[in-house]
Amino acid sequence: MSKTWGMTKGCIVCCGLVAVGMLLQLTIGPVRWDAMASPVNIVVLIVLLFSILTMHLLRGKVHLFRWMSTLHAGIPAMVACAMLTVLMGVTRQVPTGHQPTEPFGITSMLTFWPFVLSYTWLVVLLGMVCMTRLLHPSWRNIPFLLNHLGLFIALVAGTLGNADMQDLRMVVQEGKTEWRAVDSKHHVHQLPIAIELHDFSMELHESSAAPRSFSSDVTVYTKSGTTVRDTILVNKPLSFRGWKIYQYSYDEAKGVESDISVFELVRDPWLPFVYLGIFMMLAGALSIFVGKKW
Amino acid sequence: MVTWNTLWLFALPALVCWTVAALLSLRGGKKSLVYLLTICGLLIFGSYIAMMWISLERPPMRTMGETRLWYSFFLPLVGLITYSRWQYRWILSFSTLLSAVFLCINILKPEIHSKEMMPALQSPWFAPHVIIYMFAYATTGVATLMALWQLFRKQDQLAAIDNLTRVGLSFITIGMLFGALWAKEAWGTYWSWDPKETWAAATWLCYLIYVHLRKSRPAAVTPALVWQVICFLCLQMCWWGINYLPSAQGISVHTYGS
Repeated sequence: MSKTWGMTKGCIVCCGLVAVGMLLQLTIGPVRWDAMASPVNIVVLIVLLFSILTMHLLRGKVHLFRWMSTLHAGIPAMVACAMLTVLMGVTRQVPTGHQPTEPFGITSMLTFWPFVLSYTWLVVLLGMVCMTRLLHPSWRNIPFLLNHLGLFIALVAGTLGNADMQDLRMVVQEGKTEWRAVDSKHHVHQLPIAIELHDFSMELHESSAAPRSFSSDVTVYTKSGTTVRDTILVNKPLSFRGWKIYQYSYDEAKGVESDISVFELVRDPWLPFVYLGIFMMLAGALSIFVGKKW
Repeated sequence: MVTWNTLWLFALPALVCWTVAALLSLRGGKKSLVYLLTICGLLIFGSYIAMMWISLERPPMRTMGETRLWYSFFLPLVGLITYSRWQYRWILSFSTLLSAVFLCINILKPEIHSKEMMPALQSPWFAPHVIIYMFAYATTGVATLMALWQLFRKQDQLAAIDNLTRVGLSFITIGMLFGALWAKEAWGTYWSWDPKETWAAATWLCYLIYVHLRKSRPAAVTPALVWQVICFLCLQMCWWGINYLPSAQGISVHTYGS
């Protein structure tokens, strides 16, 4: 098979994915990421890894699978993802959870089927090349694996874990204890932890009345009675029982006199894997200087 | 007190140093003198940035004008590294010219602004994130100039372009991942597809495509050179283009304040 055909095939597959994506978009509507919540994402992960392994093992028999771990498949996939990302960059996106403002769905790119399918294809190809290198270990493969496997892990964990992530806002009054928080759709959640706000304080810039920093002195409780007392600042969140508590806002009408503090509470069980991927990629980027001749 | 009004006091001597060094290297003059003059210029201009940092009481990276300062600083530095590595005589003229353009913009159209910085930006991640990105921009800027030079003058420099792109790409990767770690620390999400992040992803993918294309089709020179220019256009969109993009108005946390 000629070299040119390999790349052409890659382009055909990507065009096919975009076409299928458009059909899905017009028939069943945008991608529903909330359906990915645990345990669906665990099943999807197992299916993904298992199919990558199977395709890898069958690569001697099936030409398509062998082709999938070549650059002829990878480059068109990257081009497709880049083009859809540029399209996302030039269209005004609606906030997360809102319906797209036009019939095609490109104003909500993250739920746009062609976008999701193209990135999924890229991730599958990435998984295939990683599998090939993983099953033939060699020191020389380390920089390659740091870059490629790192990206694979970060993308898969970040995407699949997104539906399990809880991102809530909690408003607490000074002197009060609060255990309820609201999500982005204004649903109220009762949490296993509670926050008592002792004091909210704010420093101002001398030249103007703009805030320089603001912070909250809090005690956090669990149902079992464990407590921790700490100060939460912007850029200095508090980690407690799998939750990260960020200083988010305050009563902006009252400013310095604000007697409430708004916290952002985030729970992200897949985060350690995303971090693993990110740190692998950081090491991979550094290895470009150390490892190869340039 | 160092302000934008005193910029020319430092920029001019630095530019003179860089220009003399560039002319010397063009004529194949003494290398030690070329190094000495370029480093001299870097020290003069670097001290301006340092004093600016002190007088602003925050890293000078908040506005477009401030990021241009770093760009003007890193261009001759990347030029010098390239010169020492591959002995291109003309590279310093290129980097000096480009640096001069950005300096002129800053001198002729200074952006006056306050000391204030919103609380989310007061993070130890802020300085490395921006400095690494600016260094990457300078590296890829030089690579693009070389690509254009080769496209029109037909002088083979592909090996150097490839190397600069690899360095640029790895810095872009580090800058982007630092940004993600910082965002997680400050806002609770490492990637939120804010317009700047979307364009950063597109730019990153473009450079990845360049690197893979070079590996897959080493003989396809012209497409690679053209793609190098496209990558840089994408990067410009990410750096300042989105400030003018209707789709990004008012929703990006990355929009530079004035």
